[in-house]
Amino acid sequence: MSKPLKDHICEENLFSSIFRKYSKDLHDFLYYKFGSQLNPQDKMQEAFVKLWENCAKIPQDKAKSFLFTTANNLMLNEFAHQKVVLKHRKILTKNSTNINPEFLLQEKQYRAKLEKAIAGLTEAQRVAFLMNRVEGKRFKEIAALLDISTKAVEKRIYGALKKLRKDIEEL
Amino acid sequence: MKKENLIQKWLDHDLNDQELEAFKQLDDYNDLIKLDAEIGGFKANSFNDDNALEHIWTTINSTKKKPIKLLSTLSKIAAILVICFGIYFYTTTLDTTSNTLASQHKSLALPDASQVELNAMSSLTFNKSNWDDSRKISLEGEAFFKVAKGKQFDVETSMGTVTVLGTQFNVKQRTNFFEVICYEGKVGVNSEEKNITLLPGDTFLIIDGKYIATEKENLKHPSWLDHKSTFKSIPYREVIAEFERQYDVNIELKNIDGTQNFTGSFIHNDIEFALKSITLPLQLKYSKTDNIIKLERE
Repeated sequence: MSKPLKDHICEENLFSSIFRKYSKDLHDFLYYKFGSQLNPQDKMQEAFVKLWENCAKIPQDKAKSFLFTTANNLMLNEFAHQKVVLKHRKILTKNSTNINPEFLLQEKQYRAKLEKAIAGLTEAQRVAFLMNRVEGKRFKEIAALLDISTKAVEKRIYGALKKLRKDIEEL
Repeated sequence: MKKENLIQKWLDHDLNDQELEAFKQLDDYNDLIKLDAEIGGFKANSFNDDNALEHIWTTINSTKKKPIKLLSTLSKIAAILVICFGIYFYTTTLDTTSNTLASQHKSLALPDASQVELNAMSSLTFNKSNWDDSRKISLEGEAFFKVAKGKQFDVETSMGTVTVLGTQFNVKQRTNFFEVICYEGKVGVNSEEKNITLLPGDTFLIIDGKYIATEKENLKHPSWLDHKSTFKSIPYREVIAEFERQYDVNIELKNIDGTQNFTGSFIHNDIEFALKSITLPLQLKYSKTDNIIKLERE
């Protein structure tokens, strides 16, 4: 028989395990949604501090929702609705034989287009799409994190892909 | 399998070997793989879990003092509330005082809807909070009362107390001068010199500690309510004092006997006319400089 869930999380070990479970997802969620200029790591940590302050009131199974909502609100308090631009961090292309000036230029242009196209996605699309593509999460996992249905995640991600390809084509 | 389905399955990392082959045959395959490879460049920064957690614990421990702070703010709030309540309680049980300056009339309502008209240079004090228990008023100067029916109503002055149950009457208490006129109902007057019950029209008058009998008063209310002061055989100095109060002036008498009686009246809104009213009958002349008026024999 599984141990019944504790009805609160005011215990250091339990709190630490919750941190290890959600900190990365929360951080990524904030990053993909709001970009890096508002310091997602700070907000993530602040949300955990708030979770501890309210630990007596929050049952374990509500902790995730609390964290995401709190962090999101913390961001929104500062967020001046500027356009979110995620920067492409140059990664070395695997097949180094292909390196010639023309190819490099093409790649550079492609990345610029991609940056613009990603900035053009809606927040919801961008978060779901990047969690899926970059973090390699499956639809189900994303649905659980965002508290939405798998179908909705699927729609957002597929919609994002279609829009990205169309935008890159046009740019 | 349809292309769209394949792409969706690919997105969900859910292709089996067979489907993967089919996916690779799609026209979009290269395009998608390229996009997918480049997307990786948008990966969020990674951070050190342990450092972040440690940072959180430090923040939590440094804010643990909060409850103490909260307690102290609570006690501050409580203290402020106590002070506010104290002030509120103190001021509501405090006596209410109403004053008039020279040449000023004021009309006020008491808690039980009794009406008071306050003549110039007068002051009236009563306590709102225990008004229901005792209707008691301290008066210095002159006032006209229209008392609502109810319990005993006392007007205390330095020269005697006037007790009524619900009538209209005028009380005038000035230096060495105490006058009560009853206009309606019954008024009891207790002073050192005399205890008496007044009926409508009766006047109780004490000047320099002597009770002075007077005629019946025919007016329905004191004449000063109509901005006019009326005197019947009243010492001239009292007339002058009243004049000073109504016009806020100083009057000097030169070789004039202030104790002679004066009968007549003066109005409150025309100083020239009023001066004539109080000087002509006694064959006096007046001269005026600023706020000082000199009266002399002609």
